[in-house]
Amino acid sequence: MSSPASGRTSATKAQPNARPTDLHEEEELGRAYDGRLLLRLWPYVRPYRRQIWITLLLFLPIFLLELAPAWVVKVGMDLVLAGEPTAGGWANAALAGAQRWLATPPPGIPVAVWLACLYFSVSVSLGLLSWLHQVIMATTGQYAMFDLRRAVFAHIQLLPMSFFDTMPVGRLVTRSTNDVENLAEMFSQGLVALVTDVIKMLGFAVVLFLVSPKLTLYTFAIVPVMAFAAFVFRWKVREAYRAVRVKIARINTQIQETVTGMKVVQLFSREERNLADFDRMNADHRDAWHQSIRYDSLLFSTIEVATGVTMAVIIGVGTGIAEAGILYVFIDYMQRFFMPLRDLSAKYSVMQSAMASGERIFQLLDRTPSVRDRVAAIPATDPAVAGSVEFDHVWFRYGPPADGAGEAAGDAAGDASAGAGAAADDGDWILRDVSFRVAPGEKVAFVGATGAGKTTIIKLLTRLYDVDRGCVRVDGVDVRDFPQQALRKRVATVLQDVFLFSGTLARNIALGRHDLDELAIQRAARAVEAHDFIERLPAGYATEVRERGSNFSTGQRQILSFARALAHGAPVLVLDEATSAIDPTTEAAIQRGIRVLMEGKTAIAIAHRLSTIRDVDRIFVLVGGRIVESGSHDALLAADGVYARLYRLQAEREEEEGALAARPA
Amino acid sequence: MSEALAATQLAGQGGDSPVRHALRRLSVYLRRNARFYLLWFFVVLLYVASFNLLPLAVGWAIDGLVEGVPRAEVFRRCWILFGIAVGGGLLRFFSRQLVFDAAREVEYEIRNDLFAHLQKLPQSFFFRWRTGDLMSRCVNDLNSVRMLLGPGLLSVAQSPILFVGAFLAMSTLSLKLAILMMLPYPAFILISRVLGSRLYSRSLAAQQSLSSMSNFVQENVAGIAVVKAYAMERDQADRFEEANEALRERSLELVRTSAAMPAVTGLLPAVGLALALWVGFGEIQAGRMGTGALFSFTIFARQLTFPTFIMGYAISLMQRGASAMQRIDEILSVMPSIRDEAGSVDLERIAGRIEFRGLTFRYDDASRAAALDGIDLVVPAGTTVGIVGPVGAGKSTLASVIPRLFEVEDGQLFIDGVDINRIRLASLRRAIAMVPQDSFLFSMPLRDNIAYGLPADVPFERIETAAQRAQLARDIEDLPHGYDTLVGERGIMLSGGQRQRTALARALALEPSILILDDTLSAVDADTEQRIQAELDRLFAGRTVVVVASRVNSVRKLDQIVVLDGGRIVERGRHAELIAKGGVYARLAAEQAAEETRAERERRLIGEGLGRAVGEGA
Repeated sequence: MSSPASGRTSATKAQPNARPTDLHEEEELGRAYDGRLLLRLWPYVRPYRRQIWITLLLFLPIFLLELAPAWVVKVGMDLVLAGEPTAGGWANAALAGAQRWLATPPPGIPVAVWLACLYFSVSVSLGLLSWLHQVIMATTGQYAMFDLRRAVFAHIQLLPMSFFDTMPVGRLVTRSTNDVENLAEMFSQGLVALVTDVIKMLGFAVVLFLVSPKLTLYTFAIVPVMAFAAFVFRWKVREAYRAVRVKIARINTQIQETVTGMKVVQLFSREERNLADFDRMNADHRDAWHQSIRYDSLLFSTIEVATGVTMAVIIGVGTGIAEAGILYVFIDYMQRFFMPLRDLSAKYSVMQSAMASGERIFQLLDRTPSVRDRVAAIPATDPAVAGSVEFDHVWFRYGPPADGAGEAAGDAAGDASAGAGAAADDGDWILRDVSFRVAPGEKVAFVGATGAGKTTIIKLLTRLYDVDRGCVRVDGVDVRDFPQQALRKRVATVLQDVFLFSGTLARNIALGRHDLDELAIQRAARAVEAHDFIERLPAGYATEVRERGSNFSTGQRQILSFARALAHGAPVLVLDEATSAIDPTTEAAIQRGIRVLMEGKTAIAIAHRLSTIRDVDRIFVLVGGRIVESGSHDALLAADGVYARLYRLQAEREEEEGALAARPA
Repeated sequence: MSEALAATQLAGQGGDSPVRHALRRLSVYLRRNARFYLLWFFVVLLYVASFNLLPLAVGWAIDGLVEGVPRAEVFRRCWILFGIAVGGGLLRFFSRQLVFDAAREVEYEIRNDLFAHLQKLPQSFFFRWRTGDLMSRCVNDLNSVRMLLGPGLLSVAQSPILFVGAFLAMSTLSLKLAILMMLPYPAFILISRVLGSRLYSRSLAAQQSLSSMSNFVQENVAGIAVVKAYAMERDQADRFEEANEALRERSLELVRTSAAMPAVTGLLPAVGLALALWVGFGEIQAGRMGTGALFSFTIFARQLTFPTFIMGYAISLMQRGASAMQRIDEILSVMPSIRDEAGSVDLERIAGRIEFRGLTFRYDDASRAAALDGIDLVVPAGTTVGIVGPVGAGKSTLASVIPRLFEVEDGQLFIDGVDINRIRLASLRRAIAMVPQDSFLFSMPLRDNIAYGLPADVPFERIETAAQRAQLARDIEDLPHGYDTLVGERGIMLSGGQRQRTALARALALEPSILILDDTLSAVDADTEQRIQAELDRLFAGRTVVVVASRVNSVRKLDQIVVLDGGRIVERGRHAELIAKGGVYARLAAEQAAEETRAERERRLIGEGLGRAVGEGA
């Protein structure tokens, strides 16, 4: 085998954030109540405070309606057994009037029918009111969370690039979806429900006591035991369930990975070992479920036993015929008392995760965007320098505590512009005193080894970061004096890694510019030779991009990114040439595309192809963050510096290796 | 049980429909766990008995109280009531635990079977099926099946018995009232069924909105550089607003339904109690019924509510579970077309002779042209062969049939003179190592990735040697935890070149008789590639090597070269011969040479050379 000559792909800067890493992220749980957090949440809830008042007001009639049905039955029983409503306890005395009313049906209606109708209508009203209560509460939560979600998303978009360098994508997704969802739960079944449940239970306890102090004391002897058991079991269910979730995540990751890498699995005959590993995980998961099922079933049974046992106790201590009605009331209230108890701990957990989520959300919202618009208006520019680019003694480094590698180290929240002056240590500057000026319509190329700072120049120019010292000017105006949107509309960027969004190809070329019609899109595509392969697709420009462009080859993706830049028609073009190897035909198309792209524009390229370098007016050689040489290809060769040396070195190597593939005879 | 299940699901469907097929498969799993289910059924019967005795016992105790029986007798009745309550609770505990555990057991078995089955399927299967689709069947559908077997089965099997029992129990008190009480239940089962399926479809819709919003945010963050560079923020925010609104609306629809659940649920005992009051009073006054019976009826009315409503929900669960099982069955029913047939031989030592005899291969889609068409080729053991040709010529396919990644017809491909379909897969793949194009790495330490095809107890030296040969050793030193560094999806990101060299090390570690390089070194930088080549030349000695390349340069020195185009061999010979011939190969070589001077080598010059020049100069 001979000299292989497949291109050199730079050991591409590892993007630590390009994958979701929190598959196993365990939710940390803490307090279930945090006043500070609730206070911060208030602005989002405030617009809906009227609804909250309504739900609070609804609570009283609901509670009264819950008390009523048992009383209807009691009066009925009293009538049957004693001929008239009986009084016992203090409550009865107070309710004597109401009881008499209940016992007196309108003329012509039998008392049984009357009571049955009363019972039925009370139940229906109770159902309706509870439904209304629940719906208003949840709706309020949903609207408030809608606003919060919008705020989180808007905030994420404002954050500086340095933030995204270290923050896993998955975590940000969780913030704006699951975490907000958890907070919404707090509205529908957390805080408000918790408070009303406690009030309700207290209310029932008081009423029970009023009805019959003796029965109450007897039965409440077992309440704490039941309550405790219910709480503990529910707690255990939750813990077991969390273990289950971690395990199922592991299983699903394993399936996904095996399916994706199936070719390797089969080639290396790994099936049996994989299955053994999988079986272990699978069994682990099943056993974790076993725990959760056990406590869940225990919980269910406890509640049921509790109801039965209280009835036994109540009847056991009851005396005499007159008490049948009261017994009924008692049993009914007892059951209603137990109902909230059943999921008190569930609500407590809801609060816990809501608080944890809230904490994380507000942490995110507290991150200040370091790149901020100083001005709202687009500054007036001098037409004479429109399309010019200038770096004026620019110093830059990533994040304050940058390490040796320099790339986005340290805290993601790092404010890139902070503490620039204080930086006396020399080690971590990515750009050191870089100055150059590109005239309108001029084309320049930056060359340099990996890590020399080429990409950084692009990032500063488009203000993805702010400089630490010095100034970057576009159209003669400091980039910090442009609103970011306006600046980026002047500069079209073609990045090395082409990112395709889901949606149609047309959308991927237009990228949010609704003023670009189909014709404009096609014109751009045609110019960079994308039109032909797009037209060959079954759906043409309407073809859906799949999973970040996996249905397009690397070369096609690059050409699409050219079409994007061209369609946007910005006067300044910034091009980070891709290094990946592509088949020769596509390669040629890409080179033609680059030429088209640069036509009539101020162009700044990070060049890897000599053809690109030859086409530019000036070359800047970057070494260790400084521009060490600049000039045209020929001038640099004549100057006999770094650029010339590397050129000669390469020539020698070529000789050693001998001629390339023989040419046809 | 499964028969009954199939019957309820398949009423009106004849023949061996897909659902029936799926349920038959499910019944195999159920039968395997038959002990569980028999025991459970027994427990259910006892539970139903205690469930219906409880209201009777309450009435009995109340009667004692009302009729003024001796105090001791009342106490005795209360103790019996107490016993029934505790016993019922215990039985319920066992019933739930038994049936849910059984469901988990079946889920576990199906999941294992699915995984094992997927590993047996040929590559062509994974071309047809997207990962996301497979995942959703392994995760969501399996979940639905578990719901069918757990809560679904629990309720659907238990409720009818419960109702019959309740009716019998109530009729001992008053037949008239018992009949009246049972009347509304069918209507409520229907209502709850409608409500239940609406609840399900709305929660599904809400979930989908949430996940499509997640996808949107995910994409926005992953592509944030483009979003910022093209000032797409406002447009993206608008799109987010749409997703956000959709999610809110779906959630609200869900809330409206789920909040209605308890309201409607409360209605059923209300109807029952109203009836009991209306008719019961008359019965008591007429002396046909005791006071305690009224208590009993009220308790019946209340405790039958839950089973009624859960029944409607359970029927929806059963239906969903059945169609989910059908989707799982679709995968399990795909026959693994590549497997050891009876009488396949275990080749102890494979020398490495490869022979294609008129091999023709087409991907499943019959409408497409053959990917490989009449390939005749002999690669003697220990020689090297290069495969070149334009994109889509079938080069990778040709390489992939050698380790039987695709199905080949009998009599078309022979290893050491044995038909490849007659060789036991394990022994075939032990002898062949392939470095696939995409160099996929698993989320495990680098060490384990290199040792992927080796037994678990392989000595570390072997891994180290392989890494050195693949020019990976130096990179490993630079990694945070050396050989223990976690790579792959959840580990650190290696560069394209490092990934390819890891894949190469993985193959070399096998010390194979046949080595296949499928366009392997495209992302390795020139310098490293040269070092690998030097090492490879040595490694190639004594092995059969197949090199797939899009560049002529990668195959010039090989013993023979075949040029593929449109699935056919259009030229073959050694480099010099092919150049002399002036055909496709020569043209390709010329094109690439021109291209290379213009792009490749110059690109290398800028990157590599500059680095070196700077290193010397600075």
